[in-house]
Amino acid sequence: MNYVSPCLYAFGASLAFAIVFNIPRDKLLLAALGGMLGQLVYVVFQLLITNDVILYLLATIVISLYAEMMARLTKSPTTIYLAVALIPLVPGGGIYYTMLFFINGEIDPGISTGIHTLLISGALAIGIIMVSSSVNLVRKVMLKGVSKIGKKLKHGKDT
Amino acid sequence: MTIAQLSHVAMEMGVILLSNGAETYRVEESMHRICLALGAKEAEIFVVPTTIIISVTLEEEAPLTRTRRIHSRKIDLTKVSEINHLSRQICFEPTNYKDLLSEIRLIDSIPSYPHYLQVLAFAFISQMFTLFFGGSLVDSCVGFLIGIGIKLQMDIMARFEANVFFTHIVGGLIASTVAVIAAGLEPTTNMNTIIIGSIMTLVPGLAITNSIRDIIAGDYLSGLAKGVEALLIGAAIAAGVAVPLSLLRPFWGG
Repeated sequence: MNYVSPCLYAFGASLAFAIVFNIPRDKLLLAALGGMLGQLVYVVFQLLITNDVILYLLATIVISLYAEMMARLTKSPTTIYLAVALIPLVPGGGIYYTMLFFINGEIDPGISTGIHTLLISGALAIGIIMVSSSVNLVRKVMLKGVSKIGKKLKHGKDT
Repeated sequence: MTIAQLSHVAMEMGVILLSNGAETYRVEESMHRICLALGAKEAEIFVVPTTIIISVTLEEEAPLTRTRRIHSRKIDLTKVSEINHLSRQICFEPTNYKDLLSEIRLIDSIPSYPHYLQVLAFAFISQMFTLFFGGSLVDSCVGFLIGIGIKLQMDIMARFEANVFFTHIVGGLIASTVAVIAAGLEPTTNMNTIIIGSIMTLVPGLAITNSIRDIIAGDYLSGLAKGVEALLIGAAIAAGVAVPLSLLRPFWGG
């Protein structure tokens, strides 16, 4: 039960965010599923990995892959799926507690929470960068391959 | 199609894309694709979050350059999706100027979700995230109310064209004031959870995503601009939340 409810809440929140971002009607549910997927990965891998920065990285990689896949399947921009799915992973709690420590005058815990939050944000960025860049690379390699074959075919016809 | 018409069509599509939350490279790529599909020999496009510059060259004609300043930006990914689709379609089936322009107008006039649904969505986000961070049912209802308040406040301030940072400061202020009062009146004890849950409605999710994607694509200027926007919004939310927390605490003993 403890594992199911965060996923459901993430799904609900992502669905509402999809409406705020004015995502096309037929893609609302798919976008919200991305938010749930990220949380699911986080919760499942929590049993194996204790470092939560790595957990955030893994979750981001999975949702980025999901977003790229769905974008290709439904022929729409990747952002639609990625922006919505990313939001449940944004460290809102970290930002809040950093600020809370600072206004209470507790500088040391404030700094350590702040750096932890920064690391999580970095993990989100790196996750997106890794997936996006490799997908682009794969696509370009495939396109190049196709055009090379095309050239060879043309060449063959000419000679 | 004349050079003026061509650049006009490309510019209209670019403006719709950019002002509704598309990434920089998507705007540049779509405009470039359209120009070449409609018969331009060369097309150079430069896009930053506030400006589009396009320079088109046709065969045996002097090049034409247009600039457009983008003043207001909002988020409507349906329009981005539709224009993106249209720009790909043009490459396969060329159309004439009038049809194209009317199609662009049609996409621009697609209605977004009704206002009450947007308010409900804000309230729902706030409620769901309060539950998500471990709040009880009562906490989530306080979150629901804060969500409605934040959306209404943002709408009112948008009408007066207040800047984004001030809007978010006031949003954070509302969230933490209501949460502190709720904690003081004791229907709930999880003040922190309510505040975290309700400030998630203000998180600049699209700015974060777009800034990262712009930087990957090599548009450092736009990527940095959006990244700084996201950071400043985060700081604005924290500042807004901090004020009532530090001022009201002595009275409510939170």
